[in-house]
Amino acid sequence: MKRLRPLATGLIVAIACLIFAPSAWAFCGFYVAQADTSLYNEASQVMIARNGDRTVLTMANDYQGEVQDFALVVPVPTVIQPEQVNVAESTIIDRLDAFSAPRLVEYFDEDPCYLPCAECIDADPSATIDRLTEESGGAFQSLAEALGITIEAAFSAGEYDILILSAEESNGLETWLRQNNYQIPTGASEVLGAYIRQDMKFFVAKVNLDEFDQSGYQRLRPLQIAYESPRFMLPIRLGMTNAQGPQDLVVYLLTSQGQVEVTNYRTVEVPSNADIPLFIQDEFGPFYSELFQRSYEQRGRNIAFLEYAWDLRGCDPCAADPPSLDEMRQAGIFWLEDDMEPWEFNVFITRLHVRYTRDKFPEDLTFQETNNRRLFQGRYVMHHAFADANEQACLAKKTEYRGYALSDREIEYLRQSHQNYIAHEVPERFEREAKNLARLTGRDLSTIRRRISAEVPQPQPSVWQLRYPPQLP
Amino acid sequence: MLRDARDYQILFLSLFLLLGLATRDWTLKPAAIGVAIATCLLTQFIFSIIDSRWGTAAPATADLKLPATVLSPARSLPVMPGLRAVASQPLNWRSPLISALGLSLLLRVDHLPTMALAAFVAIASKFICKVEGKHFFNPANLGIIAALTLTHDAWVSPGQWGEEVWYALIFIGAGGMVLKRVGRWDTTAAFLGSYALLEAGRNLYLGWTWDVWLHRLSSGSLLLFALFMVTDPRSIPNARPARLIWALSLAGLTFILRNYFYLSTAVFWALFLLSPLTILFDRLWQSERFNWKVFAPRKPIVS
Repeated sequence: MKRLRPLATGLIVAIACLIFAPSAWAFCGFYVAQADTSLYNEASQVMIARNGDRTVLTMANDYQGEVQDFALVVPVPTVIQPEQVNVAESTIIDRLDAFSAPRLVEYFDEDPCYLPCAECIDADPSATIDRLTEESGGAFQSLAEALGITIEAAFSAGEYDILILSAEESNGLETWLRQNNYQIPTGASEVLGAYIRQDMKFFVAKVNLDEFDQSGYQRLRPLQIAYESPRFMLPIRLGMTNAQGPQDLVVYLLTSQGQVEVTNYRTVEVPSNADIPLFIQDEFGPFYSELFQRSYEQRGRNIAFLEYAWDLRGCDPCAADPPSLDEMRQAGIFWLEDDMEPWEFNVFITRLHVRYTRDKFPEDLTFQETNNRRLFQGRYVMHHAFADANEQACLAKKTEYRGYALSDREIEYLRQSHQNYIAHEVPERFEREAKNLARLTGRDLSTIRRRISAEVPQPQPSVWQLRYPPQLP
Repeated sequence: MLRDARDYQILFLSLFLLLGLATRDWTLKPAAIGVAIATCLLTQFIFSIIDSRWGTAAPATADLKLPATVLSPARSLPVMPGLRAVASQPLNWRSPLISALGLSLLLRVDHLPTMALAAFVAIASKFICKVEGKHFFNPANLGIIAALTLTHDAWVSPGQWGEEVWYALIFIGAGGMVLKRVGRWDTTAAFLGSYALLEAGRNLYLGWTWDVWLHRLSSGSLLLFALFMVTDPRSIPNARPARLIWALSLAGLTFILRNYFYLSTAVFWALFLLSPLTILFDRLWQSERFNWKVFAPRKPIVS
């Protein structure tokens, strides 16, 4: 059985190739760019590794302000002890981000100057056989008691001072947090109350400046908490109390069975596998932001987007190398054994991107792991036209190579394949790409067409440039 | 046209399925729907034959049969040679089709055999799990539970219907029509009403605003369950008081499973666990058993 596994994985990848390929002949493409999370303002990144009731929650810290002002209050389902807290390396979230980010892939057109064997021409005269060319890709106990707060645990982890609080009522908690210089937004008390009555505890972290200075780290590292609870959820309500406009949350869910979906909101795949114009390679980040914003608006602003769902043993195309066993452990994946071979890793990654506002997301996010092992990725495809296609040069080249004159049928064949490529294949693809881009981002179609004329290398004489001059007449 | 109330159910369940396929970008495969329908019909057919030949169909249960079955000449003959029995066996296609559509709407599978298993268990339970000729498990519900527990590639997506009010309205409207025809609207009302009250109580206690409550209730899956599954008149108690108490316990159990055990599939488990209670309720409250009616063509009223 073990021997079969790599085969199975190979098969999965091959099937994925078929599913995601834009047409039957295409290869899966080379990875060239990615839209990672640094594009978004106010984006939080959270990593949740879960197996059974055991959960490891990692919260990335994109805090931009003064370190001494930093404070974090997170509702957690159970009391957390010192050994359940860890400070992870920032790189691990960046690694998973890079691995799972929506990707741009490219294909290169073959020179249409291709002559099949003589019989093949008759067998299938219109056949254009495309192949891929070479790749280019501390706490105050007495006050706390007076306010009805119990300090369940107090300890430090790395550069953080951590308190685990349980409270009897929200006003007391709010007062206590304020008096201890935790910046709690006004109106938080109502939300805190709801968590208190659900018997949740509060994980409160501040930066220990001495430790931070000594550590020499440039930025705050992610906090990692391990706990055991049947609740598979992420509290987002607390963060909404002082939010100005929508907030972005990217959640990396690492599970053993299959895809994770949100149970109290719809989970929808982000538009994917579309051919887009070549000029997007220089502006892939903005392109993906526009696409996401447009989908978000069109779908009613109340859904979670699936950006990536894959078996962590492989990827195709790979935006980054799959994480190593060590990196998976850093990400909180606790169910892998030391003696496991890479193909035995049972880890499925689901990347969800939620843009939330108070009016559309009244409830915290709750998740469930499903047995759905369908692979999905945000993938956008560019094609490089073969700009040097030239009928006369091709005829000359073929004759020279052959050493004697080509037959009329062969000349006719080469003429037709050039004409087909220049007058039909390339302009038809440009049109499809332009329409896709307009549909996905809402950009103006005629501007896109002109930009294709101006910026995309194409074989001459170009039908497209005649139809859509680069400059307005 | 549409003289059997179940025709309405079939019509509306199919409509929802099409709506879902067209607008909800589900992970729903047409092949799975095909497998569900084929397996349900086939299982029904096979079990009907077994039933009629090896006679669990005692006279006491004869009135349970659908009108078409009752009217069939096959009833009057005590023993039938094999082939003729098969040929004359009238296929009750409506109930299995409803079960199949229910399964397709609610259950998600990675592989088709899982759907076939769910469909088989659903229909087989009607013939096997019965007391005094009445099956006590809701077929589609049992199919879902079987697929969830026995296999590793089935799941239910409670969030995928979204919460658009528009959908809720269609659900309620269509369900209402079906229920009016069937006459078991009281179960839905009691279930939804008491569940809404319980959630409202929790909401008040936690101090959440009312949009949280509304969001929790306006789940498409919950409405679909309340209107089309919990109301199956054949697998719920016969007497009205029994039905009301039964619906209240169902709401209570769903509430507990969802909020204290964090089960996203709470409604299905609650129905599964409470289904056997219908036998007890039917003993305690004697009442006319439900039979699917075929409405007679209307006659002009003579005054």
